[in-house]
Amino acid sequence: MGREPVAVVGGGSWGTAIAHLLGREDRPVRIWVRNADLARQVNEERRNPKYLPEASLGAGVQASADLSEVLAPCRTIFVVVPSKGLRDVARAMAGHVDGDRILIHATKGLEGEGCTRMSEVLREETTCRRIGVLSGPNLAGEIATGHPAATVIASRYAEVVEVGREALVGPRFRVYASRDVVGTEWGGVLKNVVAIAAGVSHGLGFGMNTMAMLVTRGLAEMTRFGLAEGAEIETFQGLSGVGDLVATAFSPLSRNYRVGVALAQGQSLETITQGMCQVAEGVRTTQLVHARAGQMGIYMPIVEAVHRLLFEGISPEAALADLMAINRNPYEAESVYSRVG
Amino acid sequence: MFTTHGRIFAFNQERDAILQEVVQRRLVAHGRNPDRLRLDLNDAAFTEITRIEEAGQTGGKAFGHWRDLYRRIGRLDATGLETELARLVWHYARDVVGNFDPRVYGFATRVVPPALSFLWRPQFNWSRLLNLSTARERIRVQGPIDRIRALANQGTLILVPTHLSNLDSLAIGFSLLTQDLPPFTYGAGKNLFFNPFISYFMHNLGAYRVDRRLRFSLYKEVLKTYSQILIERGYHSLFFPGGTRSRSGEVERRLKLGLLGTAYSAATRRLQAGASRPGIWIVPCTLNYQIVLEAETLIEDQLKREGQHRYIIEDDESSRIGRVFSYGRQVMNLDASMVVQFGEPMDLWGHQVDCEGNSHDGHGRRVDTRAYLCRRGQPCEDTQRDHEYTEELGRSIVDAFHRNTIATVTQVVAHAVWRLLEARFPGADLYGLLRLGQGAVLSEAQVLEAVEHHRACLHRIAEAGGIGLGHRIRTGTAEALLAAALASFGMYHQRAALARSGPDLMVDDPKLLLYYRNRLTGHALDPLPEALRRTVAEEVKIGT
Repeated sequence: MGREPVAVVGGGSWGTAIAHLLGREDRPVRIWVRNADLARQVNEERRNPKYLPEASLGAGVQASADLSEVLAPCRTIFVVVPSKGLRDVARAMAGHVDGDRILIHATKGLEGEGCTRMSEVLREETTCRRIGVLSGPNLAGEIATGHPAATVIASRYAEVVEVGREALVGPRFRVYASRDVVGTEWGGVLKNVVAIAAGVSHGLGFGMNTMAMLVTRGLAEMTRFGLAEGAEIETFQGLSGVGDLVATAFSPLSRNYRVGVALAQGQSLETITQGMCQVAEGVRTTQLVHARAGQMGIYMPIVEAVHRLLFEGISPEAALADLMAINRNPYEAESVYSRVG
Repeated sequence: MFTTHGRIFAFNQERDAILQEVVQRRLVAHGRNPDRLRLDLNDAAFTEITRIEEAGQTGGKAFGHWRDLYRRIGRLDATGLETELARLVWHYARDVVGNFDPRVYGFATRVVPPALSFLWRPQFNWSRLLNLSTARERIRVQGPIDRIRALANQGTLILVPTHLSNLDSLAIGFSLLTQDLPPFTYGAGKNLFFNPFISYFMHNLGAYRVDRRLRFSLYKEVLKTYSQILIERGYHSLFFPGGTRSRSGEVERRLKLGLLGTAYSAATRRLQAGASRPGIWIVPCTLNYQIVLEAETLIEDQLKREGQHRYIIEDDESSRIGRVFSYGRQVMNLDASMVVQFGEPMDLWGHQVDCEGNSHDGHGRRVDTRAYLCRRGQPCEDTQRDHEYTEELGRSIVDAFHRNTIATVTQVVAHAVWRLLEARFPGADLYGLLRLGQGAVLSEAQVLEAVEHHRACLHRIAEAGGIGLGHRIRTGTAEALLAAALASFGMYHQRAALARSGPDLMVDDPKLLLYYRNRLTGHALDPLPEALRRTVAEEVKIGT
């Protein structure tokens, strides 16, 4: 079965990195990219000149802009498209996949006011059931360069995790198994808000003490929220939780982090987003999570502070002062179960 | 006039083959693994010895056998262990297996419905004894019956009803008969077989025996295997997925999925044997009573043992023939005193199914269900996968139960009054409300306002497809609902949940009120209007 092709739907930088991992030892991989010209270029150059050009693609990797051609021979399908486009792509895939297929998405994000998770979108739009999520501290550039890294594949179906692991695992890439789809997906979403806060802290010139505080207490908030959504606590202690949070919050390359830095420098959200070609996921996430946490009565002071900073026009200093003021509450406990606020 | 088709009419010819298959499969499942054999035998022996000791029946023959086996297990080799296992599996499989006698069925189809009519009529009347019209007026059966009938001829149906009362089986049997649906096999508690008269019918109408006292895995596996083989061979089966009657009166929210899970293995084996599709469909069904025979005992049991499980009530209203008769005479005299609502049939993945047995997803697309049981196009068993499918199916069934619930006047009024009690005694917990609510007097105007609020709210939910409404709720005013509910509350129970007290209304039995109110708790009705809650809280008016 080693020669059965694996599909990657989406040719952005993360999709390209996954195709790079899958295609080692010339294993057959089919990658779908929107643009036929790009597909031709990928096949000629054996790399993706537009996204992540540093990643070499194995001899077995074939790009195509024809979804049905890509999906037809593949039982295992990695879906790696931006969260905004996932529903349309899933809808287009629906006619080509049946209940025998395995879908693993690697998209960190939410859809709409209802906070629909990506696996839920796949479930709604296709008839597939064997669905999983891949998430972890995986900066595409580092994967392409071959730095050792690890990730998590979570699914309710043991078979999905097995198949996904078998396809991806290599001498410099580890894959851990999980059953907690909810926690794995939320970890990848929530960390972006904390990354904004980390950027602000850096922009204001604070050091590692502040950073450690934000990351640690940010994790407590993420966990608290995740528990309310039905996630398991240990998922947040793993690669897709604290792992991804650390990588994002300490990486100056992360878009969310850069938003935070710019905010600290006094730029308005409008100017910042105009200057970026891709929207930082964390801005939208802050809005959605803030509303949902409010409805569910979940105590999330960092999300609250970032929300006020982004949407209520307070200064970074005032947001920070707010955040520090919570400690005047004598009941402030470190436990993630603490809901005092 | 009644169905004479369906696999079950050939059951007796297959009986021995089925038994042998049960034993065969259990032995194969154990392999020749001595550790596993020893573990299961030890588990059975230990559980049984403990149970018999607790029941104080240590003098019996069974106890001696188990004690003897328990001592020998450690010394047995693989062959010896296998022999013991085979012996036990044979024993329990024979104990479980049912019978189906077409003559008894024919007799029952002629006699049972008129007998039901007789039970449910206040006066004996020869001319009406010979037709079904009376029971038909009392028990309304509705739903996509034509489609269910069409599917019954093309595959295996698994009927999953809600469970409130021991009369449920009767009501379902009646519905199947009158709708020309084939008989279903089902597992009935062994305690129901103690009565020789009922036992005779149950035993010969395809019911198999489930001894709920036996808790060891070997027995449960025999049951599951038996059920799986029946489904696989095309016998329509009935499970109460709630496992037991709902004690609280709520619509089932957590299901026992063990037997339901066998459907996936059955489907896989059918595909492996060459079938083109699984051909097994789920039919959810709700039983909606205005007044429940055992309401008082059930809610009492729920309150006493909140949070604990108790499966067998040995003595309740249904075992007291006088109560059953009084129930029949009084309650069943109500117009449409119960509604049996069949839900949309679905496949094992919760998709809708059309008359030809084709599945369609939420977007109306055809679904190839075979693919769910395959790996690379080949059907293959996967216990873990099927376990997840079962869990998801359980959620679809719970949703279907809620959508197909038919709200009745007793539930709506009880829900409204309970909300008023909550407003009057803010901060009181459940037990506080039961204590304080006893004898609470409410003004009729307030009750009517609360009932009207609930009526409007239910109409909204019903329009969105979230619940069904009984005839009265569909058409009646709040006044009419209240009057009908008071009449129902007043007729059968020892004390009324709610009764008139001069110009006002009084809560006479808060436990019953809670019981009837619970049926609607899964439907998230809007809270009472703020103004009404405030008025009620301010004006504390305690009755005598």
